[in-house]
Amino acid sequence: MDFIASLIAASIRAGTPLLFATLGEIITERSGVLNLGLEGIMIMGAMTGFAVSLITGNPWLGVLAAGVAGMAMAAIHAFFSVTLKADQSVTGLMLVLLGIGLTGFLGRSYIGQVAAYIQPVKIPYLSELPFVGEAFFNHDPLVYVAMLLVPLTWFFLFRTRYGMEIIAVGENPEAADTLGINVEKLRYASVLIGGFLVGIAGAHLSLAYAKLWTDGMTAGRGWICLALVIFSGWMPQRALLGAYLFGGLDVLSFKLQAAGVGVSYHLLKMIPYVVTILVLLISVIRGRDKFGAPSALGKPYIREQRY
Amino acid sequence: MIKIERRHETPRWLVYAIPFISIAVSLLFVGLLLLAVGVNPVDAYMTMFSRSFGSKFGLTELFVKTAPIVLTGLAVAIPLRAGLWNIGAEGQLYMGAFAASFIALYVSLPPPLVLPAMALAAAFMGLLWASLPGILKAKFDLNEIISTLLLNYVAIYWVDYLVYGPMRGKEVFNFPYSDIFPDFAILPRFFGTRLHAGVFIAIIIAILLYLVIKKTSFGFAVKVVGANPKAAEYAGINRKRIIIYTMLIGGAVAGFAGMMEVSGIHMRLRSGLSPGYGYAGIPVALLAKGNPLAVILSAFLFGFLYVGGSALQTTYSIPVSIVYVFQALIVLFIIGGEFFTKYTIRIRRG
Repeated sequence: MDFIASLIAASIRAGTPLLFATLGEIITERSGVLNLGLEGIMIMGAMTGFAVSLITGNPWLGVLAAGVAGMAMAAIHAFFSVTLKADQSVTGLMLVLLGIGLTGFLGRSYIGQVAAYIQPVKIPYLSELPFVGEAFFNHDPLVYVAMLLVPLTWFFLFRTRYGMEIIAVGENPEAADTLGINVEKLRYASVLIGGFLVGIAGAHLSLAYAKLWTDGMTAGRGWICLALVIFSGWMPQRALLGAYLFGGLDVLSFKLQAAGVGVSYHLLKMIPYVVTILVLLISVIRGRDKFGAPSALGKPYIREQRY
Repeated sequence: MIKIERRHETPRWLVYAIPFISIAVSLLFVGLLLLAVGVNPVDAYMTMFSRSFGSKFGLTELFVKTAPIVLTGLAVAIPLRAGLWNIGAEGQLYMGAFAASFIALYVSLPPPLVLPAMALAAAFMGLLWASLPGILKAKFDLNEIISTLLLNYVAIYWVDYLVYGPMRGKEVFNFPYSDIFPDFAILPRFFGTRLHAGVFIAIIIAILLYLVIKKTSFGFAVKVVGANPKAAEYAGINRKRIIIYTMLIGGAVAGFAGMMEVSGIHMRLRSGLSPGYGYAGIPVALLAKGNPLAVILSAFLFGFLYVGGSALQTTYSIPVSIVYVFQALIVLFIIGGEFFTKYTIRIRRG
């Protein structure tokens, strides 16, 4: 039982960065903007968060800085895709290159350093419970924040005016525009909020999960999150399930390795990527992809000129 | 009032000027970054130039680094013409390298047949690796960007598994390398430098693909599918087949790049055998607008960035990842510039 409880706990911890980033991308994509740059934004968040924590000694300032760095990267994407109406795939891909390049360049001196990291917080009483306490109530605060963000994101998107306007803009920008909704403003806002959350995902990686900074430490998590968005059918509650499942896969390959199962470490490392492709395939075959995708996803909105 | 208006016609000079302006502005931005870490950008750029154009060794290195980028650029450009993003050239290159190494080390063939067999095996393996995303895209409309990219990680871990495990050489101490290839499995080299025969083959492949794209009905069909999928259907072009074929061509070319790297440069299979050549193919193809001949030119620019980048690393210990920043900035500025070919900014009173 203890083993299972610790496995669940570890999956939740490993799944938290995935959850932050997937929720962020759901908000972005709901407005009709496809941001493929998650990998680059996340790694900027990881590096910035680590650097700021190292310099100030306060990991929470690091988390905030990571969010702002993510937002800054996302702002580039918003400018190109919303204002310049450029191909969103290209800009997203270039954000990945930019993020990996900049962090490799600027983050080199932080490799091997130890920064103040985020301490776990036991929830009073609940963490004393057998099994459940260990599995769910003995984590760092960002884990709880991510959990709370799931209903909050759902509420924001489906029960508030702004959220519903974002969805309208993602489904049918022409109609939304006719109704007097400012398409460009809402798309900017969604992309920036998304970037903030993806930046925080990076901070959780470097300041709570791994507690260090290395080059390329996001290791494809940004791409896995893009697949998770499709798997979730653009619904926050399904993102929770997907993120923790994939966190579990990450942990499993670790634990199998530690248990000495006689399978190469490098083969075990392939598991999350292979499973992601399979999950994508299943989602697509079941048609959830077409069902949930915002209709205007990836298409720039160009208002017809009136004379 | 500032107003953005659609242009009725685009000045011709602007179209040609944009790539050059973009490169210049990127140099400026990276210069600022270099200043931030205390390196004089003028000195740094001088070093980049003198190390690549200043000596016989530098020049041949330039060609040696350009050649794989020509191939990965083509691997991105051909599917891109059909509207597909092959982000998997890196993985296809690794799988090609694996197949070529397997032939070189474990299959006994008459020596003259070894190099051709390696090339064929590498191209076929790359093709196979690209076929999965291609088929999934055609059959289920599965996003090829995500699937090709995820397969890169699988391919890189596969090669790591081999060189840390079953294919690790007997005389490599603890390095993640295979044994050195026999002589007849190594591409001929010239002038006592690393300039190898693969460089010329890469250029020939680019020319051949140019002819295929410009002169055959297949090339025309690819263009129609890329420009207007609806029109392709009306014209009776099998869109799905074109999608799969362009991905297969891309995979085969990237796979061959893998053979070229292990047989021409490393002379063995090893961990980390490509410094991101597959990813460099993306900006290269974009810069060339999918034209195979233009790919040669834009690959040369990125080859220069790689040679210059490693010169910066040895002289100023600046990480090579600065090359990625360059790549991203150049493309972003070009996109920004293209906006001004379609739109113009008017400032009016009132």
